[in-house]
Amino acid sequence: MYAVLFHHMVVGLAAGAGTLMGLCAFLAWLGSYLSNLESSRSTLDKASYAASIFTLVAIPLAMISGYYSVSEPAGSAILYNKFIFSGIATGFTASYLIGRLKFGSDVWNHSALANLQMLSAIFGFTAIMILGSIGSKITLGESTLDILPFWPEFMNSIVINQWISLFLLSIGLVSVIFSLRIANFSGTISDLD
Amino acid sequence: MKSRILVLSVIISLLLASSSGVANPGGKGDNNRDFTCGGSCHGDPSLSALSTADIQISMKSTAYSGTATEVSVSITGMDLSSNNLVGIFLLGSKNGNGDHPEDYGWQIIQDPNGGGSNYVEVISSDGSVSVSWVLLAPMDEGVKEIFVSIHHGSYYNHDNKAYIGETEAFTVDIAPIPANYPTLAEGWSSPDERVSGDSSPIIIRTVNTDDLSVLWRISGESQSHEASVEMVSNQEWEVSIPATLGDTRIEYQIIASMDEFSNQMPWLSIGTSEPYFDGTSLGAKLQSFSFALIILGFMLSLQAWFSPRGVRKEFENTNEVEASLSSDDSAYWSRLIQSDENPGWLWDPIEKEWVADPNIQGGEK
Repeated sequence: MYAVLFHHMVVGLAAGAGTLMGLCAFLAWLGSYLSNLESSRSTLDKASYAASIFTLVAIPLAMISGYYSVSEPAGSAILYNKFIFSGIATGFTASYLIGRLKFGSDVWNHSALANLQMLSAIFGFTAIMILGSIGSKITLGESTLDILPFWPEFMNSIVINQWISLFLLSIGLVSVIFSLRIANFSGTISDLD
Repeated sequence: MKSRILVLSVIISLLLASSSGVANPGGKGDNNRDFTCGGSCHGDPSLSALSTADIQISMKSTAYSGTATEVSVSITGMDLSSNNLVGIFLLGSKNGNGDHPEDYGWQIIQDPNGGGSNYVEVISSDGSVSVSWVLLAPMDEGVKEIFVSIHHGSYYNHDNKAYIGETEAFTVDIAPIPANYPTLAEGWSSPDERVSGDSSPIIIRTVNTDDLSVLWRISGESQSHEASVEMVSNQEWEVSIPATLGDTRIEYQIIASMDEFSNQMPWLSIGTSEPYFDGTSLGAKLQSFSFALIILGFMLSLQAWFSPRGVRKEFENTNEVEASLSSDDSAYWSRLIQSDENPGWLWDPIEKEWVADPNIQGGEK
């Protein structure tokens, strides 16, 4: 019973933090092209940085509380999709946070990395938005995003064999470790330039 | 004394608990139930009241034994509770026990909700409802009775009473089936539902039938279409009805023929169920983590790819060069001589030249 209440609270926090992360990162990226936003870029960067940390804490809590809120957490395609999109949201949010930790606030001065950071944040935000839409479909039977003509149907899901998932998980783990080890990220971009 | 108080408290608690209880105001779901279900919970006059509903049964007054027949029930004038739920019993008697129609030889082929129960729960928004059961008439001939009973709540129902309504017996004369009269085989029942998108044929078993035709229509539509029928073995037919999606119900009518007889049976219906989902909790977790790590690994690889190339640490001698420059500088600056005649300038005795004093800018130290 408390899992449901906790889930309601924590998904709201995850959605709010994810939205803040996505929008602030997008505006910080836009600051490179719009002089009006240049002065606010530092604030936007810090806001999205803090929001990404909070999102990365809130998503696992939402997953755990959601898991205990239903009798069969993976009993239908729509619930299964929540797991998948939670993983996607976590992946993009974590990559945004790690990028920000490694490169510092100067990341927005480097065009390619700024694009990458912006895409990570926007994809993370989109995944969280889809998660919210799925949750709304489950509880209310409808979602605000239903108005979009191209919104996909979440009544079907892609179920990958557990061994293939395990294989993908191993590849992901190896690629994360490899990426972290090969990259020389000891300083900030301004130090390297 | 204490034990008496304890016993008394327990008795009072139990009495209070019983008076606060109500019998399943949200319904109990469709099932095969004797009327005792309604009677036991609501039989006490203090817990029940007479429904204002008018209940009408309509069906053919004569049916051949073992043939399909339809019982239509029309209920009007109900004052329902906020959930608009009404429970309807189809009964073979009003004994209160052993009163299921099957106890009297009837066989339920389909109930109003597509199942095979004698008790169904339906929602009515305007206090009236019309439902129908498709039954196979008893094999033994003679006069048989059918009853309908209902129970429901009421909007202004402060005492949480159940409102009960019931009909008088509707008598049906079960006539002997003519020789070679085509009908459905005993024990066959219509499938409740098919999986969404499933177009596999429906198997119908008959007796005394040399030709079978089936009409189908989407529930709510009047135009019907003829289905393709193939006889797969003796008195067994495969009927191809189009697949349905979503929450569509499809209705079909069987017409069994043999010589001069043509038995047009009542419309039956099949619902659509969601496709079977074979995902597991462990699989979902693994897939979620694998997606997270694959995305993270991919994005970090891109970050590494796009990051500015710094000097590799093994060739990094910046500190040594700076230290060397710093020591050279200190030797150079220490040999310069200050001059009072030329403030702001230093004399280099080796190079024999004046050098601007870096400590003085704009004539001030």
